[in-house]
Amino acid sequence: MKTVYKLLLGSLLLITACEDLDQVPPNFASSDSLDDFEGVVNAAYFYHVGAVTPWAVMGDFRADNAIMDEEPYPEFDRYGPDLTVMEDQFFRPFYSQLYKAILSTNNVIENSTDVSDIGEAKFLRALAYFKLVLVFGDVPVNLVAAPTTDDPTFFERQPAAEVYNNVIIPDLQDAIAVLDTEIVNGRASSLAAQALLGKVYMFRGEFVNAESQLASVLSGASAAGISLQANYADIFGELNDQNSEVIFASQISSSVVDEYEDSEFWSWYGGLDTKSLMPLDPDLIAAFDASDASGGGTDLRRAVNLDETLMASPKYPQTGGPEHDWIELRLADVILLYAEALNENGASAESVLDLLDPIRTRAGLTVLDHTVLNTQALVRQAIYDERRLELAFEGHRWFDLVRTGTVDTEMGETININYHLFPVPISEILATNNVITQNPGY
Amino acid sequence: MNFLTKLTLLGLLFVNISLFAQDNFTVSGTVIDSENQPIPGVNIVVLNTTRGAQTDFDGNYSIDVASGESLQFSYIGFATQIIEIIGQRSLNITLQEDTSQLDEVVVIGYGTRKKSSLTGAVAKVSGSDIAAIQATRVDDALGGKLSGVLIQQQDGAPGADPKIQIRAASSINGNSDPLIVVDGYPISGSLATVNPNDIESLEVLKDAASAAIYGSRGANGVILVTTKKGKSGKPTFSFNTFYSTSSRYLKDNEMLKTSGEWANILENGIADGTYDVSELDPAFLNYKIDAYRNSPDVVAVEDWLFQSGYTQNYDFSMSGGTDDVNYFASVGYQDTEGIVITQGFERANARLNIDAKLGDKFKTGVNFNGFTSNRDIVGHDMRDLLRAYSVHPIYHTEQSIAFVQQLDQQAQALGLAAFDDGYRGGDAPFNNSIYTLEPGDTAQDWHYGRSGNGIGGSGDAGPATKLDNTNRYQKTYFANVSTYLQFQIIEGLNIKTVFGADMRDTQDYFWRGLEFDSRARTNQTALDQVDLKSSSILSETTLNYAKQIGKHDISAVAGFEFQNFYNNGTSLNGSNVPFSDIINFNLLNPADIQVNERKETIHRRSVFGRINYAYDSRYLISVSLRRDGDSRFGANNRFENFPALSVGWNIHNESWYNSDAVSLIKPRFSTGSLGTTSDLGAYSSLSLLNPQPTFFGVGFLIPSDVANPNLTWQTNTETNYGIDLGFLKNRIRLGVDYYTSDIENILINQSVSEVLGTTSIRLNSGDVRSKGLELELSAIAIQKDDFKWDISGNFSTVKTEITDLGDLEELPAVIYGQSGRGPVFRNYVGGEIGEMWGLETIGQVEDSFIADPTRVVGLNSSEYYVVDQNGDGVIDRTRTVEEGGDLVKIGQNTPDFYYGLNSQMSYKLFDFSFQFQGAEGGDVFNIDPIYWQSEFGGRVRDSFDANDDGIADHNGLFYTQSRNQLDAQIQDASYLALRNLTIGYTINPDLTNTIGISRARIYVAATNLLYLWGDNYTSFNPEGVETTNTGYLGPTTYGVQVGASPIVRSYTFGLSVNF
Repeated sequence: MKTVYKLLLGSLLLITACEDLDQVPPNFASSDSLDDFEGVVNAAYFYHVGAVTPWAVMGDFRADNAIMDEEPYPEFDRYGPDLTVMEDQFFRPFYSQLYKAILSTNNVIENSTDVSDIGEAKFLRALAYFKLVLVFGDVPVNLVAAPTTDDPTFFERQPAAEVYNNVIIPDLQDAIAVLDTEIVNGRASSLAAQALLGKVYMFRGEFVNAESQLASVLSGASAAGISLQANYADIFGELNDQNSEVIFASQISSSVVDEYEDSEFWSWYGGLDTKSLMPLDPDLIAAFDASDASGGGTDLRRAVNLDETLMASPKYPQTGGPEHDWIELRLADVILLYAEALNENGASAESVLDLLDPIRTRAGLTVLDHTVLNTQALVRQAIYDERRLELAFEGHRWFDLVRTGTVDTEMGETININYHLFPVPISEILATNNVITQNPGY
Repeated sequence: MNFLTKLTLLGLLFVNISLFAQDNFTVSGTVIDSENQPIPGVNIVVLNTTRGAQTDFDGNYSIDVASGESLQFSYIGFATQIIEIIGQRSLNITLQEDTSQLDEVVVIGYGTRKKSSLTGAVAKVSGSDIAAIQATRVDDALGGKLSGVLIQQQDGAPGADPKIQIRAASSINGNSDPLIVVDGYPISGSLATVNPNDIESLEVLKDAASAAIYGSRGANGVILVTTKKGKSGKPTFSFNTFYSTSSRYLKDNEMLKTSGEWANILENGIADGTYDVSELDPAFLNYKIDAYRNSPDVVAVEDWLFQSGYTQNYDFSMSGGTDDVNYFASVGYQDTEGIVITQGFERANARLNIDAKLGDKFKTGVNFNGFTSNRDIVGHDMRDLLRAYSVHPIYHTEQSIAFVQQLDQQAQALGLAAFDDGYRGGDAPFNNSIYTLEPGDTAQDWHYGRSGNGIGGSGDAGPATKLDNTNRYQKTYFANVSTYLQFQIIEGLNIKTVFGADMRDTQDYFWRGLEFDSRARTNQTALDQVDLKSSSILSETTLNYAKQIGKHDISAVAGFEFQNFYNNGTSLNGSNVPFSDIINFNLLNPADIQVNERKETIHRRSVFGRINYAYDSRYLISVSLRRDGDSRFGANNRFENFPALSVGWNIHNESWYNSDAVSLIKPRFSTGSLGTTSDLGAYSSLSLLNPQPTFFGVGFLIPSDVANPNLTWQTNTETNYGIDLGFLKNRIRLGVDYYTSDIENILINQSVSEVLGTTSIRLNSGDVRSKGLELELSAIAIQKDDFKWDISGNFSTVKTEITDLGDLEELPAVIYGQSGRGPVFRNYVGGEIGEMWGLETIGQVEDSFIADPTRVVGLNSSEYYVVDQNGDGVIDRTRTVEEGGDLVKIGQNTPDFYYGLNSQMSYKLFDFSFQFQGAEGGDVFNIDPIYWQSEFGGRVRDSFDANDDGIADHNGLFYTQSRNQLDAQIQDASYLALRNLTIGYTINPDLTNTIGISRARIYVAATNLLYLWGDNYTSFNPEGVETTNTGYLGPTTYGVQVGASPIVRSYTFGLSVNF
């Protein structure tokens, strides 16, 4: 009997002693357990989608393209300290989604051995920091996959110039070096990285660098299957997702629920959200009117962008709404930036304005006359005007106004420069005991 | 034996018999206890002889005696009786339990201990005490019985667990549920897993030194349940049944009015100048008053929602055994219909306990317990159901349909909007215009217009529509099996291995259909199903040693334990549920179903040991140590040691002690350390990538937790000072305990920058200290053969203070309640856990300022004057007065003290007992009045605050709406309940014995026959606290009441039979 007992006891001990305290769930991954980091890259794309709508609202509703109606949303049009009330719906999700994208990309860059995964990650990291810098100015920089909280200085906001020079530009250069030119399934490509780098240089005022990057995009476009759409209307909407003009888009599908929980960009522009049932800013209608008057006809872009009965934009129809991709970079945008760079670098008005011809012709307008627009300043304004109409409701306007220093002239009022930036989420300031600081004016 | 010896013996036997034969006779009878149960094995000795006998299994004995001799009846645990024989041939004896006998055995963790040798704070409740009350749940029977144990009916619905808190809350975040150990097995579940009729005894380990043997699991206290075991002998059977009818304690709530009452209030208010209607169109006014007055077939929501409930309960058990094998088996069934329509609870359970001796050295046994239950839960928030305006029937009648149609015509004639406008949405088949209604359709609020054009309250569907189109239930299947094998190595030294498993399968179901919403919005629909299988396996081996050597009494235990927990489940959350007779996930668009799966494994391992030593029953000491490891913690900090020490001194056993008045003096001291995992998830210390579909397929989202390899136990160091006193040969006993506890390394959620990818991380950072005083007084008031009365009372206090929060001075303040209506919960260094803060009010804005009293049917302006504490001309409800704002502390839910009073009396065959329970000094933030007083319609006149600066112009006072964190919502949560009152009668055993029934008792009982609550409390259950709304964070946000299920009063008739 004793032997039986010993055996029994012994076997029980064996059963249980083997169990150890290192438990990892079978249905979750960790950085240590992954070999293939493509899923983490995919997550970075996914988070970018969550930042799209706040970006769209900041880009067009803050500027003279769209207006808010219901309080307190018109704070977007007031350029004062109370914009902070919009934090929960816009600035905080924008901030958190992009930093989540950054963490995902850091994980890939740190742990993956696949060069193209790393290339895509660097492109997406650069895009995230670029958007953060444009919205908030100086921002905290995290370049590691698993940051610790021990060092509070880690969260200090870094000067925007350093973020450009130390993160955004090198990341894009790395991405250009390793990524293919070919665009596969709409994932990041070297063309996209070049286009973004060219745009970054434009925002930095480095027109020579910008010119060379943007020139490579234009010269490499056809090899990558990128060309202007024949019809402006064929660029937008669910049915045109991934058309030939799109260099890079945040791809959106209703079957993938992103982490942004409020109305999406298409419903804001379309006047489908009760906070702004008639979002169309009369100033944009006036801009189209002026363009029509000088352009010899009705701009074909007008009907795509404006519904003057509903005073909303039909650009992204409600039908198929949750499926519309968000275009981050398209060829016409690059062409306009390139023209701008050439003009700044002293190219002739003729050579610059020629670049705009395909865009204007597609819009059903006459081409611009270099004999009339015969100074650098006139050409510059013509490009700015073209840019506003071509890229309305694509999230560019406010950031272009700030970039080109034309906020006050275009908005027709003197706006304190503090309000060129948006407020940092207050939760960030509280959580870090003021290590992260608020932007002046808020 | 050789032949000669046998012959000699035979001879002696004959001699013996012949000696007795002369003047001896046989006495026979039955020995029973005070509850008329036969006592087998009673020793019967003829004094001063060697003659003796024992009672058999039925308590019967017979013995030869001579007149003038005395018989001594003795049995352990009972007072010995000596009776002189003067010719009786029949002698039935009732042995009395020996209450002065101190050596009652008390179950402690991994062993037992004589009560006289205990050094910790352990409370015992016997199974007969629990059975006497015939509660449907064990925890009901405990309410008010023990000091330091707070039992709160925070939900009140049948089948819902009450809150059980032993001493101070041990955690800021997690729950306060104590560890439940049934027959040595720590189960994953509440006391509800045990049938009250199966309980032999129940012990509560209150102080740290007693619970420390359970180490990391003991921080909330430990409840040890010992179930009944069989005794050798013929099988005995027991059958218990009862039937209760129940109803809510309060019949009518003054706040909830019906249409006609509103008409009266309105008319009287206008007549006496309470309301100023000078700005209203008289035609409109008359239209409204008439409408309220004439609405036909009105049913008060209360009268529809509350009903008379019932419980029927049947339990059958049998027990018995041979010399080697004992068994106890029981089955039970309970069915409850709640006092709120759709509430119900049904449960069937079974237990089997078998113990067997295998030869001299081995013992083995198996315990099985299982149940299945179904709990029907009210599918919609009771606050909202009760909020519905009682201006209509629940289901339309011909009269009510005609009424709404003519009311709509009247309204339109007055230039008001048509009732159908706006609120009748979609083209769903049920979405009738008020002109196509049929009798029997649910009456919806909007059928009566809205406050602007009719007498309906809102655009909502009516309460019946809401309840008819929701369904919520929870099904549970539970089983626990454990086996043991015990081997006696030498006398006093045993080794025992326990191996077992428990499994709980719960299914939570919720459906809300399209018809729920008057506008038929598909985004209001839901179909949710959560299936969770939680199981654990346990292996535990202990070495036990117990020996009395002269005056040294030693017992020791050492062992190790492994327990693995597994949680596997899926949750399906469906939205946009189509309108259909059949409700099935297959009918939903796949994109509308969100699936979450849960697979968790938690491993724990422990080694532990304890030595108890008593010298001469005078000096007592106990030392224990447990070392626990848990896979939930960070790799650097998985193991922790939990030591404990306790000492006691039986002063009354000292030779020099000599006092008759004070018969027992025993000071006790204990200190020990406990741990808790709080609400830590299985993988909280890890950084895991969450799988989630993305546009490009598989995505691994960033971790929801930042890896923290240092994450570790919360430890609770508790010191207990106690004294036990006995007076008048211990007929009166008093126990006093005072304790202090210090919880360190509290796991808190600290907000962090979202640069880290999350909004907060778990940190061991924080310190909470608490202290409490507990008194228990018991007395044997009367102890006669046919009249006995025991009475006892208890009293407890607890006080808690947050002393450290790491880097923080305060956790983020949270408004928790209902849709932002709740107090500001502050948890800061120097304060208590879960303090409620808000604005101080100085009365309501006068009713005469109501802009349109016909909108606010009822009661007040919904605006309160508030105090500008710092006089800065601004009301700031985000900061305290100290910080430059206007927030002040307005309440706290933890009572200042709580108490109980219990009495048990028996007179001849009657028994009578009662049990009071009360708590004093706690508050609830009651949100119901904000909704029930119709304050949403309330608006003050524009002229009241002409410049719209938040300051009333006529008196210069600030005012704000009642929904805004006001002390006006604080109500007294104190109560005193007569939890139970029972009168029983045991049918004369002489009668029942003839039909083979050893004991039959009938009884009637009432629960909550009396229930007193504070004057300013206005809902149905002052114990109710909301813990299920989103945003609930545990004790830091505890104290809000929203539509709690009412206090239940029930009357029970029961029968219990043993045979």
